[in-house]
Amino acid sequence: MNLRVFKRAITLGAVLLLATQTVPAFAHCAQTSASQADLDLWATHGCWQAFYDWHDPVYGLRSSDWTDRGWNDVCNTNLEYPKHWNAAYLLTYGLLDNNDQSFHGTVDYRATAEAAGGNYHDGLFHLVSDDNQFFGQFQPPDELFTDCPLYDDPVPNANPASRAGDFMHEGWHAWLLKYNWDNGSVGGHRPTQGNCTAKGCDYFYFHNISAYLFGDMWQNDGTANRFHSPNQVQVEFLCDVADQPQAWVPDSVRQAAQADANQRAAQRFINGPGYSCGSPRPW
Amino acid sequence: MIARPRFWCQSALLVVAAASWGCAYAHPTAPRTTQAPGPKPSVLFAARQLHNPPALTGSGADAQRATLAFIDWAAFSTVDEREDGRRMIASARDNKDVAATLCAEAFKAQKRDHSRALVVLGILGEMRSPLGEECLSRFMRLPFPKEGREVDGEIIEQTALGTLQAKAIDGLAYLHNGTGDAEVLRAVAGHPSRIVRAEAISAYLWNYQNSAEARATLATVVRKGEEIFLDRVRREPGQGKEPFNRSLEAYLKAHPEVIAPAPERSQYAPKPRSPYTTPRATNNPPPPPPQ
Repeated sequence: MNLRVFKRAITLGAVLLLATQTVPAFAHCAQTSASQADLDLWATHGCWQAFYDWHDPVYGLRSSDWTDRGWNDVCNTNLEYPKHWNAAYLLTYGLLDNNDQSFHGTVDYRATAEAAGGNYHDGLFHLVSDDNQFFGQFQPPDELFTDCPLYDDPVPNANPASRAGDFMHEGWHAWLLKYNWDNGSVGGHRPTQGNCTAKGCDYFYFHNISAYLFGDMWQNDGTANRFHSPNQVQVEFLCDVADQPQAWVPDSVRQAAQADANQRAAQRFINGPGYSCGSPRPW
Repeated sequence: MIARPRFWCQSALLVVAAASWGCAYAHPTAPRTTQAPGPKPSVLFAARQLHNPPALTGSGADAQRATLAFIDWAAFSTVDEREDGRRMIASARDNKDVAATLCAEAFKAQKRDHSRALVVLGILGEMRSPLGEECLSRFMRLPFPKEGREVDGEIIEQTALGTLQAKAIDGLAYLHNGTGDAEVLRAVAGHPSRIVRAEAISAYLWNYQNSAEARATLATVVRKGEEIFLDRVRREPGQGKEPFNRSLEAYLKAHPEVIAPAPERSQYAPKPRSPYTTPRATNNPPPPPPQ
């Protein structure tokens, strides 16, 4: 190879190398442990292949977004991708769907979380981010991020119930977008006011049990009588995990759901508090 | 100038290699594992020996081992095993070594594993004994952080300790004695976390069956602006819709100010989506329920 050809090859190689640098260089969440709740839920399915094979297209996951986060190591409970599908497993199978007692049904929660477009939102992708300032984010038009505080023990939200609860929260931002509702200017919420002590606040649109048939959570009538906010959907989901779970859902998962629901209901609502969930009996 | 064919061959090779890598990157491949797939969840569940908690007995190192085994069992236990666990906890209420191990584990888990700490604090509270009380009171004295990492508008260290101290308050209220109640009422009045104050009110009322006397007692200590927590609607496991809906109706009648204003339309209509960015999501039904 003469010098001129060699230089051209080097130049071309450099250009290609630069082009590949547009691929994000990932730092990662902690990846060193999993919470008691994650491990207990995991032990109920033992890394069930039929489920994780089903999960990735249904949640709009792209291998490129989850490289080195467990995409090629789906049974490693320390990594983000296995923790993501562990939460999806809870959401898909873990609720009792008691029409007389549950706030909403699995059909509602699944449609909020999963990627397919429909009544609940337009199609979306699930991504992961190393941003430590958020639990999750919805970036319009179609990106639902879950962040390290949902994966890194000992953050209280690093458990499958809170992670799935965040699928609800961010998925509901996609619902707001689809139906053109304005939920506030502080990251899609309202500033601190009323009975809300956090920096991103919502209204709680109180409703009876059975006010929404299963499958109808997406509906609204343009008034406060029939509407949901992101934090409310999250609280109602967590309450249903805590109070209306399938019998096999481990105690550690139910307790984490109850704690998250109750702290959120006490702190995040302008017209709060929201419902209190679960029994105050210690165990 | 036209480059010589040799250069184009070399370039083409590089382009093909890059394109192959790019395709592999852009086009999703199925998730993988190097581990052999496990049995179906239904097989795992069938293999479990339910209603058989490990004994919470012994002394010294034996008690320590037994207690750690019981915590693992309790965390994994099913809804139907709740009474089995409660019976075992009640049988150990006077065992100092069991209580000491639980207490040590609560403080350890507080720093390492939030969900495990919730379970352990729950067991300590369920003991309903002076041994548990001493530990829970000590847990309540952990200094509440004034600053820390802000996540989504909350200081995460405050939320972490607040939710755990709320669990400790559940245990103190469940004691249903003078010292436990005093601790609960102190929290209602003065705990820096709204999470703990709210749970203290809820637990106190629950343990006194929402009596008028309990409400009157709470009314003397509740913070100004938080009186509404005394009327808060609670949904409990197994509660049917009629009692819940009745209590919600009464709550909204007593507090019309909590009815939210009408939602507002966005000024910006969503942009039409490009068909090229539509996710490849499917509506496939999930595998049949595992249990």
